[in-house]
Amino acid sequence: MPEDRCARNCFLCPNCRNTLTVVPSDPPDDGDMRTSQIVSAALGEPPFFLYCNHCRWDSAEVDITFEKPTGLAAQLQRFEDSAPESLEFERLKEHFEPFLRASSSSALPSATPAHHVHTNPITAAASSALARDIPGVGKYNPLARSRIGRDKHAHRNELPDYKARVEIASAAALSGEADVEFMRHLESIGEVASLDQRWTNSWVASLRASDLKPLRIPLQSKKSKRCPSCRHILIKPEQKAQSVRFKIKLVAANYLPAISVTLPHAQAALEMMKRSSTLGKSTSTAAADEQQAAGALIAGHSYPFHLAFTNPLYDPIQVRLAKAVPQGEFVDAEKARRSTFHIQLPSAAFPVAAYQEAWEYEDDEEDMFGLDDDGMEVDARGKKAKDGRGKSRSVGIVERRANVTVVSGEVLIPKEARGDVKFNMLVSYTYRSDDPEPGDDTEVATPSRSQAASRAPEMKNFSFYTVVDLGTIAYREEPRLSVEP
Amino acid sequence: MPPIRDKFTIHSKAVVCQDVELKGDITIGAGTIVHPKATIFAIAGPIVIGSGCIIEEGAIIVNRRKEVMRIGDDNLFEIGCRVECPTIGNCNTVCTRARVHHTVRMSSYCVIGAGVLVVPTEDEMLDEYTVIYGPAGERRRWSGRGKVQEMDLRRKHGDYLRDMLPKFNRLRRGDGT
Repeated sequence: MPEDRCARNCFLCPNCRNTLTVVPSDPPDDGDMRTSQIVSAALGEPPFFLYCNHCRWDSAEVDITFEKPTGLAAQLQRFEDSAPESLEFERLKEHFEPFLRASSSSALPSATPAHHVHTNPITAAASSALARDIPGVGKYNPLARSRIGRDKHAHRNELPDYKARVEIASAAALSGEADVEFMRHLESIGEVASLDQRWTNSWVASLRASDLKPLRIPLQSKKSKRCPSCRHILIKPEQKAQSVRFKIKLVAANYLPAISVTLPHAQAALEMMKRSSTLGKSTSTAAADEQQAAGALIAGHSYPFHLAFTNPLYDPIQVRLAKAVPQGEFVDAEKARRSTFHIQLPSAAFPVAAYQEAWEYEDDEEDMFGLDDDGMEVDARGKKAKDGRGKSRSVGIVERRANVTVVSGEVLIPKEARGDVKFNMLVSYTYRSDDPEPGDDTEVATPSRSQAASRAPEMKNFSFYTVVDLGTIAYREEPRLSVEP
Repeated sequence: MPPIRDKFTIHSKAVVCQDVELKGDITIGAGTIVHPKATIFAIAGPIVIGSGCIIEEGAIIVNRRKEVMRIGDDNLFEIGCRVECPTIGNCNTVCTRARVHHTVRMSSYCVIGAGVLVVPTEDEMLDEYTVIYGPAGERRRWSGRGKVQEMDLRRKHGDYLRDMLPKFNRLRRGDGT
């Protein structure tokens, strides 16, 4: 019985590796299915079998059916016990059993180190094999009981040779012939089981795909994660195997602003494509290609891109962006110079409003924008903000809505650039945590300290690097570009 | 290109929501359910859909050939699929986001798995009980075990939708032509 697999009811389809479900068989066909107007709750009867919803394989193809839908492991146990590898293992155990009993009984009175008391004959055999006498090497005996060494030696000589249940030489010959015959009469490659469908078996199994048996599901472990410095538990999954939730879930995403990247010109091209395709036009591939190219990044052009920052905190934050020099991807300096993308990011800090419950937005929308002290003009809904900083229109804040701020930057792709347009960005944000410490409840040492903490809100600073990927440069031959220098 | 003349023949027992994009000569049989945001385009030739079919949201059924596109009974077209087959039999399932080319003809009890692209270069007829699955579009033959239960489930699915959809969506009635 393999130990890293489910011992109960979970099985894997041998064909497509999806989980199998236990289903009842169909009731006998009356001939005309439509006459059954009686919509019964469950239309199925035993025998039950395993069924893969994805590739529609079922275990009835290999004659595995069950009388009850539960306790499948017990019902399959009979089959597994008659498998050649279990029979072989049983024979091995029987062969070694008298020897093991003898060696464990002689080992015990000699009081080998306490942890050597093995109740399992297999591990006892393993440890005695480890302590075996190797010619040429002095025997390591911490207790210097040479008497015991001699005893073990004597026992070992009595062990008869082990004869396997099946003679390997003859077995190979038999199955080899059958395999060749099978191959000769193959009609399609799908009839042969592929290697990764077969190699989980420890014994050589039949080559036919129709002989594949359902496998037990391999077990997976749930890990918990601790902070490397203070050892506090950050992630702790639930004990229950089926649930995917967490008992403790402290993730950075709850504290860091979420960033999403969009290319406005690509979105516009997509809209155009959708609109024209619903009209029934653009069936030709050339037209579709053109529209797709309109949304792509072409070398030698410059494109604006939008970064949307979503603030998960209950306090408003001020975000500042900076470009970091791309490194590691390019090997030589010349190539790096040529392929560097010229990125323009908004250099001033921009605020992102705090996260509030959704219903609060309906009532008072003006409160949000009271946080804006810069004097930037926003209209009542706060949608499109006029950029009063004197920068070009393309770089700066595009939109401020609820707790999301969209800023735009510009990327200039040089003509010789190829590959992915990626750049490293340093995001630093600060916020004032306005929540005063509840002075009576916390275990603050002195009352004066607690007062100071509640009076002066502290500024918190965080910064992190992230990689912004705008897409791949579409390599397109410009027909207008001729060979002239 | 001649203008597409719309002619919808919708059975009185069929449930077709208002928000469906219909174009061309379309016939919809009894008991068929077309969810909102589905698209049925009979651009070049007419489309005839049988009874008991379920066409879910985002499904696109297009006929770009002059011949009639016939779809049989009790088929299920899941969300986001795109089907252009000239002939479809009964009790087939085209799973979510699958795409079937116009060179393929489906018989009955076929299953096109989720996300699979069936785009053979030559005309092909899928045998009954063919299952196409996996990212590479592997094929195998289903033994047919469980088909009675599956059809029963589909009928129950259809019955439930026939009760529920009209409560929350406006229905589109046939032209009466």
